[in-house]
Amino acid sequence: MPMYKVKPVSPGDIKIDLPACMYKSPNIHAQGMNCGDHALQNGGVDPALERLEGRQDEVLRRLYELKAAVDGITKTVTSPDADLDVSTGSRLPAESVFRGTADLDSLLGKDLGALRDVVINASPGRPPLSLLVLHALLCQRYQVLSSVHVHSSVSAVPPSLLSCLGPRHTDSYARQRFQLGFTLIWKDVSELQMKFNTQSMCPIEGEANVARFLFRLLGAGPQDPVAATQMDCWIDTAVFQLAEGGSKERAAVLRSLNAALGRSPWLLGQEFSLADIVCACCVLRAGQASSAPVNVQRWLKSCQNLGHFDCVYPLLQ
Amino acid sequence: MTKENVQGAGEDEQQAQSKKALKKQQKEAEKAAKKAEKQAKLAAEQQEADEDDFAKDRYGISPMVQSQQKLDRALVRVQDLTPEKAEQQIWVRARIHTSRAKGKQCFLVLRHQQFTVQALLAVGDRASKQMVKFAANLTKESIIDVEAVVKKVEQKIESCSQQDVELHVERIFVISQSEARLPLQLEDAVRPEGEGDEEGRATVNQDTRLDNRVIDLRTTTSQAIFRLQSGVCQLFRDTLINKGFVEIQTPKIISAASEGGANVFTVSYFKTSAYLAQSPQLYKQMCICADFDKVFCVGPVFRAEDSNTHRHLTEFVGLDIEMAFNYHYHEVIDSITDTMVQIFKGLRDRFQTEIQTVNKQYPSEPFKFLEPTLRLEYKEAVAMLKAAGVEMGDEEDLSTPNEKLLGRLVKEKYDTDFYVLDKYPLAVRPFYTMPDPNNTKYSNSYDMFMRGEEILSGAQRVHDAQLLTERAMHHGIDLEKIKAYIDSFRYGAPPHAGGGIGLERVTMLYLGLHNVRQTSMFPRDPKRLTP
Repeated sequence: MPMYKVKPVSPGDIKIDLPACMYKSPNIHAQGMNCGDHALQNGGVDPALERLEGRQDEVLRRLYELKAAVDGITKTVTSPDADLDVSTGSRLPAESVFRGTADLDSLLGKDLGALRDVVINASPGRPPLSLLVLHALLCQRYQVLSSVHVHSSVSAVPPSLLSCLGPRHTDSYARQRFQLGFTLIWKDVSELQMKFNTQSMCPIEGEANVARFLFRLLGAGPQDPVAATQMDCWIDTAVFQLAEGGSKERAAVLRSLNAALGRSPWLLGQEFSLADIVCACCVLRAGQASSAPVNVQRWLKSCQNLGHFDCVYPLLQ
Repeated sequence: MTKENVQGAGEDEQQAQSKKALKKQQKEAEKAAKKAEKQAKLAAEQQEADEDDFAKDRYGISPMVQSQQKLDRALVRVQDLTPEKAEQQIWVRARIHTSRAKGKQCFLVLRHQQFTVQALLAVGDRASKQMVKFAANLTKESIIDVEAVVKKVEQKIESCSQQDVELHVERIFVISQSEARLPLQLEDAVRPEGEGDEEGRATVNQDTRLDNRVIDLRTTTSQAIFRLQSGVCQLFRDTLINKGFVEIQTPKIISAASEGGANVFTVSYFKTSAYLAQSPQLYKQMCICADFDKVFCVGPVFRAEDSNTHRHLTEFVGLDIEMAFNYHYHEVIDSITDTMVQIFKGLRDRFQTEIQTVNKQYPSEPFKFLEPTLRLEYKEAVAMLKAAGVEMGDEEDLSTPNEKLLGRLVKEKYDTDFYVLDKYPLAVRPFYTMPDPNNTKYSNSYDMFMRGEEILSGAQRVHDAQLLTERAMHHGIDLEKIKAYIDSFRYGAPPHAGGGIGLERVTMLYLGLHNVRQTSMFPRDPKRLTP
């Protein structure tokens, strides 16, 4: 039986002039919907969210790897029958953070437009000679804006200390052109102090520790943890026993330096490192250069020939 | 009623009246008797007093000093009363800080500026009871002349500035008497805020101080503050003169507002009106164009800003510098910062007593600075603020809280309260600022900060008439009003830069005070025109 049909009252597509205050919303009854939206509505995942989750998984995975590595090292160190023979070199995977090339961005964090300024507060009575040597090395590698200031807590400073970082760079008025800032402030402090990023780092105290920080910026440190430990050992010996110890201790250190330098040109072997810098500066500051054993004197001469120690000698008088 | 009754009543009344009158008379008689007794007693006492007062000519109120005679008498300052003068008999003129009577003795503390000394007056063969009573009744703040013998004391007198000596008074005369009721007590005015609240003792609030400025300025703290301020002005002059600057005086009544018409005071000038100068800017620059090369001027600056803040005044003393340079405006920044550092060093080395005196009432951290002065760039400042969590655009001006935060960040990293911020964005600086040649969004302008608050705003000025006209049009300034200014650059002008500081603000920030009215002797703000 035919059903009753109603004639359409109005044609399907009348053009209506909409006033400007109304807006069109898409027709939900029309065919040809976006498949992506479809997927979303069916409980699918937004691609951006997927990427974020992927990154989180990656970070977690790396964290687990690091944790595993640390656990492994703890086991080998604490268990007495570890079959790792330290003296024959390392078999641990060298998971070095710096991978040999030192890029300031990866070392110090992304540059937000502010000059990355290393601020060192030192007492004029005890100038940090090793830091001056490291400054010279940094200048060779990066564009460094160096400046020396005198703090109001100190009334006067000899002119040699004011010019210890060398002549002022001709471009020093344009701070933006430099990659790294090195600001040395002569101040009445009991212990040498370095401030870098006050929001995320606490100040570093002690010449040796600041030297280690600056040396890492050069990216030239020994990758091998055994060598790195030996380097640290020499630095500590220099700072505690050579610089602050009695004459007996100093003599003992000089003898061990002599012995080590008899075997190789530099303290860690064939390569010049931070250990050489710090030890040489401590020897020079203690005034023992002329009375030191033969190998030590030869080694001091080699340091001088490298050219990085030129800034130190004027301050020794 | 019958006549008799009335009469009777009248008689009663009369009788009552007479009773009342009798009573009254009796009372009056008693009163008179008492009065007579009292008078007799007083007279007796007076006689007694007159009889016993052998020291009558060693004290009293001197007749007003109308330069009647030239006395050849040397007055020793309280400051100079030291154990070296022991056993000497000297004259001292000072104010009475406090006076306290205890039986037969009277302890006076005499004060002159920041220095106080204890004086003792005891009944004995030199002083009579009446003299001690007279001394005890003298009002505080009166100016007196005292002849006394300086005596050493074994125990230090902690409450006075001259702790090792004491005066034994022989003669005491009043030169200028003070009214008994003081509008504010000097001990209260010098008391630190916290102490006042804790012990329930009064402190004086700022409005009372400013209303009675003459008395408030007598306190040790005020004396120290204004002596230090005088030192700032003097060090400023000395340092600049040594650098070869010339001091100039610029007019304060000017025809056109220099920095935009909103904040000027208008004065009626015969048939027209004129304005009070907002800054000596235009005239400094004209002097440079007139080949003076390096000029500075010290004079009042008038800003009609209706801002009631802790650091704004409508009239203050401006110390302004302008200098022609050879090739780079940093030469001028170096000169200005060196001047500021010399001022700070001079204050640190020569005004320690004043700084300590102020610190007693208003404790604060000592002012720290670096030599040479730290100079950061605006972009660095924005990056530091962003790293600390502040949201701001790269070309936005620094708001006051951001300036303070930046000051704290710089203090944390470099340990300095004074630094320069260079290369501000061009959009936030006045029309006469020279744009940066390498980046049109920035300008060759700088601000200097002390303790996180701005003290100097300066820049390299546009010294080319055409560029100046362009910049003025860009800022929508009426060229007719600044025609004279632009004309001064048409006949050869050297490149120059400069800046100006406010004396009161610099003193306030150096001492770590919190309100600029404390360092302005008679401050002017939208709500205060007197004293």
